[in-house]
Amino acid sequence: MYFHRSVKAAGLILAAVLLGLLAVQGTYALWSSSASAAPGTVNGADFIVNLLGSPSGQSTSMTMADGSAASLALTTSGSPASELTPSAPIYASVTASNDTDAGGTFNITLAAGEPIIRNEVGSNLAQFMKVSAVTANSSASCSSANNYQELGAAGVTTASIAKGASKVICFKVHLISSTPSTMAGQSANVFVPLTATQVCGVPSGCP
Amino acid sequence: MKNATLIKGAGAIAVGAGLLLGGGGTLAWWNAADSAAPGTIVAGDLNVAKAGAGVWTDRAGNTIDVASYKVVPGDKLTFTQTLTVTLTGDKMAAELTATGTGASSGFTAGNVAVTTPVLTSGGTVITNPLTTSKTVTATITFEFKSSATGRADTTASYDLGNVAFTLTQIQQPGLA
Repeated sequence: MYFHRSVKAAGLILAAVLLGLLAVQGTYALWSSSASAAPGTVNGADFIVNLLGSPSGQSTSMTMADGSAASLALTTSGSPASELTPSAPIYASVTASNDTDAGGTFNITLAAGEPIIRNEVGSNLAQFMKVSAVTANSSASCSSANNYQELGAAGVTTASIAKGASKVICFKVHLISSTPSTMAGQSANVFVPLTATQVCGVPSGCP
Repeated sequence: MKNATLIKGAGAIAVGAGLLLGGGGTLAWWNAADSAAPGTIVAGDLNVAKAGAGVWTDRAGNTIDVASYKVVPGDKLTFTQTLTVTLTGDKMAAELTATGTGASSGFTAGNVAVTTPVLTSGGTVITNPLTTSKTVTATITFEFKSSATGRADTTASYDLGNVAFTLTQIQQPGLA
């Protein structure tokens, strides 16, 4: 009886081994060859736009290290704006440099948006102030430019700034002719939002 | 008695020798010989190998060095690897596959589009099984979509890992 069971077990094992060998035989019997390639790593560029204010001489990257937007003073106590009178506007400018490390074409524009004018404490000057802007190639030409447009919602946008190049936006602040003399000695702050935008370089267009 | 036995033995030997001589005479009469040359059996060949290093190009088709090139939204880069496929054998048939492994992306998923390897020959996508030797081109495209907003994915990295090209012989139907 014991011998009979042993023979049966041996037979089953033999059948299993044969089945296994037959099942994998085709895979191992045929040829195969392989090659591999390592395409590498694609790296994203940095969007670096540096700003230089005038007359302050201050400079900053548009984006701070923590990702927040930078603030740039165009005038400071050490480099104040000229005295503003109804007959004498004042000028300031910001120079934007496209300092990206992009590998290919990377053009940008810089836009100045609608300004916000805030009175200093006890002042009512803001309502009599107008801010206009024009694009230029140099801050030195701001006082002689004659194409200033009043800054509104549409803003003023530079021409395309190529990689490594820079453009200037000039600002002119003036008082309207009906500004009362009681405004003398009062002051207000002007804030202008600046936005740098990549120019679409895709042949088929961008959304 | 002893001599008689010796004589009998010698006689038997003599008879045997005579019979052997008679048989030898039969073999000497007819003889024929011929030969055949089955020839040499030569094995075929199966191989896939890179034909030089892969090349990256930009959207305009200019060659770039991906190690130093930095992509911006709107960029579309193409990796091209040329392969030499050798298939020799009267009943040779094989399947060529390309599999990407080990890729890792630091980009926002919706801002990039990366294709799986596409295999073409003569500008046409190959159809397995292959039966003859040919030059095959594998391409992978990486697109940084122009729909990216803000400063999304500045300085991000996308490691494309490895692409394995495998050429495996298959048994043709009816081939025993």
